[in-house]
Amino acid sequence: MPGKTIRVAADVGGTFTDLVCFETDAESGQSTVRTAKADTTPPDYEIGVMNVLEKSGTDPAGVNVLVHGTTVVINALTERRGVRVGLITTEGFRDTLEIARGNRPDFFNLHYRKPPPFVPRRLRRELPGRMSYRGEEMRPLDLSGLDGIIADFQGEGVQAVAICFLHSYADPSHEVAAEAAVRDLWPEVSVVSSHRIAREWREYERCNTAVLSAYVQPVAERYLDRLRDRFEDRGFAGSLYVMQSNCGVDSLEAVSRIPITMVESGPASGVWGAAELGRLIGESNILALDIGGTTAKCALVEGGNVRIMTDYWIERDRTSAGYPIMVPVVDLVEIGNGGGSIAWVDDFGKLHVGPRSAGAVPGPAAYGRGGTDATTTDANLWLGRINRDHFCDGEVVADMAAVERTITDVGRRLGVDTDDAARGIVRIANNNMVNALKLVSLNRGFDPRDFTLVAFGGGGGMHAVALAKELGVRKVVVPESASVFAAWGMMMSDLRRDYFVTRLADLTPDEAAGIEAAYAEAVARAIADFESEGVSPERVTVTRFGKFRYRNQEHTTEIELDADPVSEASVGAIADRFHDAYEREYTYRLDAPVEMVGLHLVASAEVGKLEMTDRESTGASAEIAQKPGRTVDFASEGDHAATVYDGSRLEPGMRFAGPAIVEAPGTTIVIHPGDRVEIDGYRNVVIQVSDANGKEFPGSGAGAGTDEATGGSEGKGGVT
Amino acid sequence: MTPTFSAIASFSGPGEAGGLSSPSRRRQGTGTVGTHSPASTPPATGRTGPVAADPITLAVIQAGWTSAAEEMFAVLRKTAMSPIIHEVLDVGTGVTDGDGNLVGSGAGIPSFVGVLDKAVRRILEIHDSFGPGGVRDGDVFITNDPTYGGVTHLNDVVVAEPVFHAGVRIAWVASIGHWSDIGGMTPGSMSVAAREIYQEGVRLPAVRLFDAGRPVTPVFDIIAANSRLPAFASGDLWAQIAAGRRAAAQLRQMAATYGLDAYNAALDALFDRSERQARSGLRALPQGDYAIEEEQDDGAIWRARITIGTEAFRVDLRDNPKQRAAPHNTSRDGAVIASQMLFKALTGPSLPTTQASFRPLDVITEPGTVFHAEDPAPHGFYFETRIRLYDMLWRCLARAFPERLPAGHFGTIGGTVVAGVHPETGRSYTMVEPQMGGWGATANRDGLDCMYSTSHGDTFNCPVEICEARYGLDVAWKRMNSRSAGGAGQGRHSGGRGLTICYRPRGQATVAVGFSRHRLPVWGLAGGHDGGTNGLTVIRSNGDREDYGFASDLVVAAGDSLVIRTANGGGWGSPSNRAG
Repeated sequence: MPGKTIRVAADVGGTFTDLVCFETDAESGQSTVRTAKADTTPPDYEIGVMNVLEKSGTDPAGVNVLVHGTTVVINALTERRGVRVGLITTEGFRDTLEIARGNRPDFFNLHYRKPPPFVPRRLRRELPGRMSYRGEEMRPLDLSGLDGIIADFQGEGVQAVAICFLHSYADPSHEVAAEAAVRDLWPEVSVVSSHRIAREWREYERCNTAVLSAYVQPVAERYLDRLRDRFEDRGFAGSLYVMQSNCGVDSLEAVSRIPITMVESGPASGVWGAAELGRLIGESNILALDIGGTTAKCALVEGGNVRIMTDYWIERDRTSAGYPIMVPVVDLVEIGNGGGSIAWVDDFGKLHVGPRSAGAVPGPAAYGRGGTDATTTDANLWLGRINRDHFCDGEVVADMAAVERTITDVGRRLGVDTDDAARGIVRIANNNMVNALKLVSLNRGFDPRDFTLVAFGGGGGMHAVALAKELGVRKVVVPESASVFAAWGMMMSDLRRDYFVTRLADLTPDEAAGIEAAYAEAVARAIADFESEGVSPERVTVTRFGKFRYRNQEHTTEIELDADPVSEASVGAIADRFHDAYEREYTYRLDAPVEMVGLHLVASAEVGKLEMTDRESTGASAEIAQKPGRTVDFASEGDHAATVYDGSRLEPGMRFAGPAIVEAPGTTIVIHPGDRVEIDGYRNVVIQVSDANGKEFPGSGAGAGTDEATGGSEGKGGVT
Repeated sequence: MTPTFSAIASFSGPGEAGGLSSPSRRRQGTGTVGTHSPASTPPATGRTGPVAADPITLAVIQAGWTSAAEEMFAVLRKTAMSPIIHEVLDVGTGVTDGDGNLVGSGAGIPSFVGVLDKAVRRILEIHDSFGPGGVRDGDVFITNDPTYGGVTHLNDVVVAEPVFHAGVRIAWVASIGHWSDIGGMTPGSMSVAAREIYQEGVRLPAVRLFDAGRPVTPVFDIIAANSRLPAFASGDLWAQIAAGRRAAAQLRQMAATYGLDAYNAALDALFDRSERQARSGLRALPQGDYAIEEEQDDGAIWRARITIGTEAFRVDLRDNPKQRAAPHNTSRDGAVIASQMLFKALTGPSLPTTQASFRPLDVITEPGTVFHAEDPAPHGFYFETRIRLYDMLWRCLARAFPERLPAGHFGTIGGTVVAGVHPETGRSYTMVEPQMGGWGATANRDGLDCMYSTSHGDTFNCPVEICEARYGLDVAWKRMNSRSAGGAGQGRHSGGRGLTICYRPRGQATVAVGFSRHRLPVWGLAGGHDGGTNGLTVIRSNGDREDYGFASDLVVAAGDSLVIRTANGGGWGSPSNRAG
């Protein structure tokens, strides 16, 4: 439709499918925003997507850009709804997948259960042929047994074939040849070769990645096809992008080839949203905190950059080794602590919150659907932090009798009254989250006091200020679209691909040419990949990172490099940068040779993403947004009479102070006594946090009692 | 002759004086370490008695100790240089209170969990005997010697640092890691020919590495000069120092946030809870008196008697062979740890472990025996002795209550050391790898395939791709054993499968290995068949075959194959009752 551009982001989550729609007028540049939520509809997720579109009144025919995020991959994995996979691997190593790494995190337990492989032994087959770690062919690939293997696979009902050979990261030609031969013999089957997903060493991780990718490939491919068909049936003619785990989007075609890259797309888009929001409001150092129904996730954004790694595991915890997936995933810490996390008292009188969750059914006791366990949400209701008369935006009548019953039960086991039990639940939940935030900040050598906390998800605003006080964080930002923030983040994403390649070299002038050649090869590959999909080279931005270590170490520290080619002259500066980064994280540096282990390339291209505009203060007083106040128990600071604001009526420039509650659609923000709030030009709620004793931190902006602009308005207009 | 030695495993009994200590270092008979009564605690902790801190605050502080230990582990893993630390994770990290009582431990291996508290207490004995100020803020200590709190063998280096808040010693942070080479008579430092500990490497007798914040550089220099791999030694040492710093900072911050009273109240509450957990687990066990006598591969007869009562779990190891002039001895601490591991597995394996988790445990040993070796006994392969001890104690109780414990597992660390010069880089390398094998079947299911031993935990095998690049050898194959009829470990539930792995050196190399259950097979349970045996076969390029259980200074050349096979676990129940 001429004159306006319609961008839609649709994010399928575990419980809800969220939508954000921006309609931008070409002439004025003004956007109108719609958000909507609908139930997620497994296993036919596309139905939920169409429902939420309908609910928001958006016609697919008019949509120019659709960005889609989905849990289809992670659900297929955790619910074991993938297809039967056959594996072809190097002779002598078909048991690698089952031997795994031999580790046992629950180490005193003589009754440990080892996670079973996704492919049983009879479907793990071998071919002769061997590469060395330097990529030299030691023994040629012998494909003569392949016919028999494929015939067996067909007889066994295999639907996808994974291929992983030793040292294919160094030279993939054996995998390429085997893949072509499989396609010749059996054109209909899905084939996944490990090197197309990962070019890094560690054969078990790479092999498991190829296997899990094959396992979900037909499922994800069918889903994406159905989604596209649905949209096209309704006249959609725009561009369709799919959210990835590396904070970027990719084309539907590319994602269909390697769908495993979607595995953590939801959390990634939230983190990316926080980074993009930071760019808008001039904050480059951010702690991103996403509190949902079952988990809390946090990540660090430093200097505007998120960290992407390939050390990702599913189902790994204190009692299980889990399964590795070697794809680029945003570096985040996820803990089982969300609104629905269950509070419980162990046999020895200790209170715990999570990781078990009441989920959507039965949900927290307050839902009145038969939930018999107290959850964090129930405690927040009991303490008046959540409005019991306007629960779930007024859609659910809170069953306060059930809340009281379950929390009193926790209290009885703890030997405290109901109020103390509720406070205890909130404090334990907060402590779990503080520890997670420390993992991504303090423990990597970053001081949380140098960061702004951006909190989102349904529960972010509820806990953020208390966490900030504990960590010494001075500013908390709760975005306007906090409850659908992952969808918002998707809308702000670029087309992005991360290339990780293992390349061992001493960081010395002698090796500079070889290192540069490896980068040049990877850059050429990235450009060619994009070009084959119609993205011209001049639109592609490439950022170079390198993974370095002291010789003999195993683990690496990633350093961003300049765009200039690596040369004899530049290796010294690269080494200095490594020494500095290493010392910041680990407190010492060594006078030892530095080694490069691999490169990491980020190739990205803009896809015409949204530009947000900053609005002027309306001059209105926050009083007009007030609702009836109530007494709120802040858990750490006790009872206070809090002013309550209707979040949907807050306007740019409004200011007020805690104790206060903001009730916004899908989320509640708790503002503690002594904290000060300003609504910024993007309608974000910006909170200046006082310290734990109610005093403002030095340098946090406003003097007491003045109406001078607080830190929230700094750096406005920093639109990228 | 020293009198028979008996002590509570937490060393809280007054009878502990004597025994282990070397003549020059007198143990203090404090008699209080390990108890939680404020009245009996030495003043170093500055405790003021019970404090009315709320249970939530206490829980928050307790989470902090675990988190500090886990963070140490993460740092060590990322910064160490010996592959056996950063890949195999043959390390342990722990936090103790100011007196050396364990309060939290990180991941790694269970057999290291009980080492660090003992090391700290020994350091305190040696250095606090100089009176107040003996241990100061900014000090860092190092030990690797069983006589000086090192517990295990010289390869395992402990670095421990006291943590002070407001002048009070509130904690120790400590780590232990297996260094690839600590000197001695053979590459990798573990020689089967060693007759005295002096042949096993440099001894670090609980000395200062930092003195009130200043590095004691001569100690660093002595360490580097005594290792065949000085860059690794220095890298591992700094990794352990950095790990301690990370944890110490967290603990200091915690004490500052909550105050000493709450901190100490949390300690008391934690010890109290873990003791109650242990006692509750103990009471759930069948009471009785159980004995075992077991022949070892070398023909020696080992004996143990386990007495389970409502209040105590006693392990009597007095009636055992004399220590030997061979590296198969363990310190008394090592024997205590074997007993602690079994006690923990029986009374609550997944619960947090503290000093008080072991209060009901009582271990009795005889000085001068293989389970209570005295200076200058060599300890190089102590880990095989200890894993066999654990295995024997486990077998003793598995016979008594077969529904509760699995059949025997492959029962060896399978330490495999290959050292040589990397043909492509020209640099020296030393591979130190444990091996995986089969675990025993249980009353409910088949045994686990290809796991590391019970002495290991979150231990990772070295990827073949990294192994071939880092070391001068290739891996020709790695296969699980057969489960087919005729395979070892058959049963109503069958033992898990071991494996065979074939290494092929690309140039000359020196090999050392240690495999228990090389002659006598893994034990089945409740009518299940025995599992297999472990060992190394060297296939020379001319086709000659040599078979080894324990070996060192074994020279191999390009073209030779080292084929290692590990046992299937024992079966459980008669195979004739197998379903399907």
